[in-house]
Amino acid sequence: MRRSENSKSKTILTVAVALSLSISAGAMAAGSHGGGHGSGGHSSASEMKPKMGHGDGHAHGHGNAAGEPGKKADVSRTLEIDMTENRYSQEKITVKAGETIRFVIHNKGELVHEFNIGTPAMHKGHQKEMMMMVDHGVLEADKINHAKMKMDMGGGKTMEHNDPNSALLEPGKSGEIVWKFSKAGTFEIACNVPGHYDAGMVGELTVK
Amino acid sequence: MRYSKSMARRFIAAAFIAAVPIGAQAGTYNLTVDRVKIDTGDFVKEGIGYNGASPGPVMRFKEGEEVTINVKNNLRETTSIHWHGLILPYQQDGVPTISFDGIKPGETFTYKFPIVQAGTYWYHSHSGFQEPDGAYGAIVIEPKDREPFRYDREYVVQLADKHRHSGDRIMRNLKMMPDYYNRKQRTAGDFFKDLSEKGLSATLSDRSDWGDMRMMPTDIEDVQGFTPLINGKGPKQNWTGIFKPGERVRLRFVNSSAMTYFDIRIPGLKMTVVNADGNNVRPVTVDELRIAVSETYDVIVRPTEDRAYTIFAESMGRTAYARGTLAPRAGMTADVPKLRKSPLLTMADMGMAHEGMDHGSMKGMDRSAMKKPMDHSNMKGMDHSAMKKPMDHSGMKGMDHSAHGGIGAKKSDAFYAAGSGLAPKAANGGKFLSYADLKAQKPLYEHRPATREIEIRITGNMERYLWSLNDVKYGDAEPIRLKYGERVRFKFVNETMMTHPMHLHGMWSILDTGAKKWNPIKHVVSVSPGTTVYMETEVDAPGQWAFHCHLSYHAASGMFRKVIVEGGPEASTTTPAREIQKAEK
Repeated sequence: MRRSENSKSKTILTVAVALSLSISAGAMAAGSHGGGHGSGGHSSASEMKPKMGHGDGHAHGHGNAAGEPGKKADVSRTLEIDMTENRYSQEKITVKAGETIRFVIHNKGELVHEFNIGTPAMHKGHQKEMMMMVDHGVLEADKINHAKMKMDMGGGKTMEHNDPNSALLEPGKSGEIVWKFSKAGTFEIACNVPGHYDAGMVGELTVK
Repeated sequence: MRYSKSMARRFIAAAFIAAVPIGAQAGTYNLTVDRVKIDTGDFVKEGIGYNGASPGPVMRFKEGEEVTINVKNNLRETTSIHWHGLILPYQQDGVPTISFDGIKPGETFTYKFPIVQAGTYWYHSHSGFQEPDGAYGAIVIEPKDREPFRYDREYVVQLADKHRHSGDRIMRNLKMMPDYYNRKQRTAGDFFKDLSEKGLSATLSDRSDWGDMRMMPTDIEDVQGFTPLINGKGPKQNWTGIFKPGERVRLRFVNSSAMTYFDIRIPGLKMTVVNADGNNVRPVTVDELRIAVSETYDVIVRPTEDRAYTIFAESMGRTAYARGTLAPRAGMTADVPKLRKSPLLTMADMGMAHEGMDHGSMKGMDRSAMKKPMDHSNMKGMDHSAMKKPMDHSGMKGMDHSAHGGIGAKKSDAFYAAGSGLAPKAANGGKFLSYADLKAQKPLYEHRPATREIEIRITGNMERYLWSLNDVKYGDAEPIRLKYGERVRFKFVNETMMTHPMHLHGMWSILDTGAKKWNPIKHVVSVSPGTTVYMETEVDAPGQWAFHCHLSYHAASGMFRKVIVEGGPEASTTTPAREIQKAEK
């Protein structure tokens, strides 16, 4: 069982790393080509197959071992979670398999934080992507540069952060995730802003 | 009540009136200063300690507490305790001749001050060479609010470089023969090796440059031959901290060495740095870090395996190592790595990169990273006294790091001269902490332009073991005068070939890393050879303070200043009647 979970999470990692370098119509039309990161954006659409294996925008969340995007109509309960400097107001969450939860996330801290549902391996992969966002000035300590997110990274990839299993929020902002936990397992809620996970901004999520 | 920007000024005023807020704790602590036996595992010698031991007890305070500390001097000489990094009224700062008269033999001095900060600090004697002789201990201050990080247990990991010789004897020997303790001198064998690798003219020219500088490429540690200690234990005695696999462990590293910088790593574990010099920084995960003399770094590690891990701290000159262990059970050990090869200083560390010369390649040099290469195309016959302009890294500041792009792009560390032999590399090829990685978790002060700049040239004459600031030693120098309320920008220009940890008492040192409002707040700023480093200070503490290089024998031979803050809530800056040693020898 353990093994199948691991092998599955690996494929998921490639598809649904929260920072999907997604192709979106907007990015293709309006992507800025600055930054010296190659000129892939000028290539034709047929060449725009992402090379880094992050899947396209339509694959989001599919196959996430922790479940899938839920429908609002199926929500059985709402959990409100506050984020402050490097912790969540709830660090242990238990849900039932098959349950759809609406998470309302508030960033009550002074820096950008994320609420992301996934496996430890997914978070690890996502942390590398987040580091890249920091390196490129997309992510600052206390703000998100949305314009830069749309920057074309070459091959039509952008650094947009629009995954259904994640809420990346500036200080003072709130966000919402509706998530269906399909099957039992142990997962993590985590903030993958560089350093935050290692400092302890991670919680246990058990699906029974 | 964190010492926040909004209340910075008001607080000082309040603190000096010594109003104890209702509900605040008030603790009384007692310390005795004693002659003690110090056993390093390599040798046993007499030294100085607190409450009968060296290091002294870990002093645990709580932010907001009003502390009373009775210090009884059981020595036959005057003593003092300086609370390194603590913000307090200057009369409580513990520097004889500057803050007070010192504590005479048999006397008890009572320190009394409010604790206005949290984090890891340390305390030590500021009299003579009592600190190298063992008079030091750690301070841990619990914050009022929750920490922005989690951990299940914590340990102080206090480093020291214990020498067989007393501090007085080391100073005498250095004065007599500055390379007395340099066991890594270049030999005739090295000369012939260079000859075959570089050719005759390059080798001769290289030797002559170093000779003219009265320095050697091995001048990284003035004082070798010590046994590094962790919490008083030598490598053989193996200080051990216990953990349960999966726990987060906070390690509070304090470098209480007299002279030695350490490169710290724990093979098999990543370290997440969460605090530097007592102030929280945005967590940054590294494989290795360098701790300057008198700095502190707090890291969180998470050992998940049921096995031992070695805490390995190599001296910067690779002449010795401190070793301790983290283990699930007492008595377990892990492999102890070998010391890496000693680095050699390069011409870049002299402030002169041999660009375009026929000297073979400079080790580790990244020419493309040199923003302002100086034109040394004709070094021969050059007037070395003119070499007073190390490279100015201020130009790096506006540099857009995003331009470096991409994961894995190695940035050169702006806090070392390009081509420096000292620029560190992680043993496992991973991430080595740089000052540039330190970003304040919560800025203490509002970011504002400095009101004026003060240039401090860090100077010395190695041949006579004279260390100075702006070429003037402490005994001949006028105090530095600051005005209460100003924000001073200090420009440190290191004209020596050694690395100096500059320590300003009483006020924070805001290190300019180019991160503007996120610049880290420190109490020690290390300045590498051949570099210029800027720090800013909000002058918010009246009185008079010490400012010096924290290498014990540099401070004592003149790299020291008195700083007088004029004006402010308590303007009277009475000079203590008696003048007691420290500094000048």
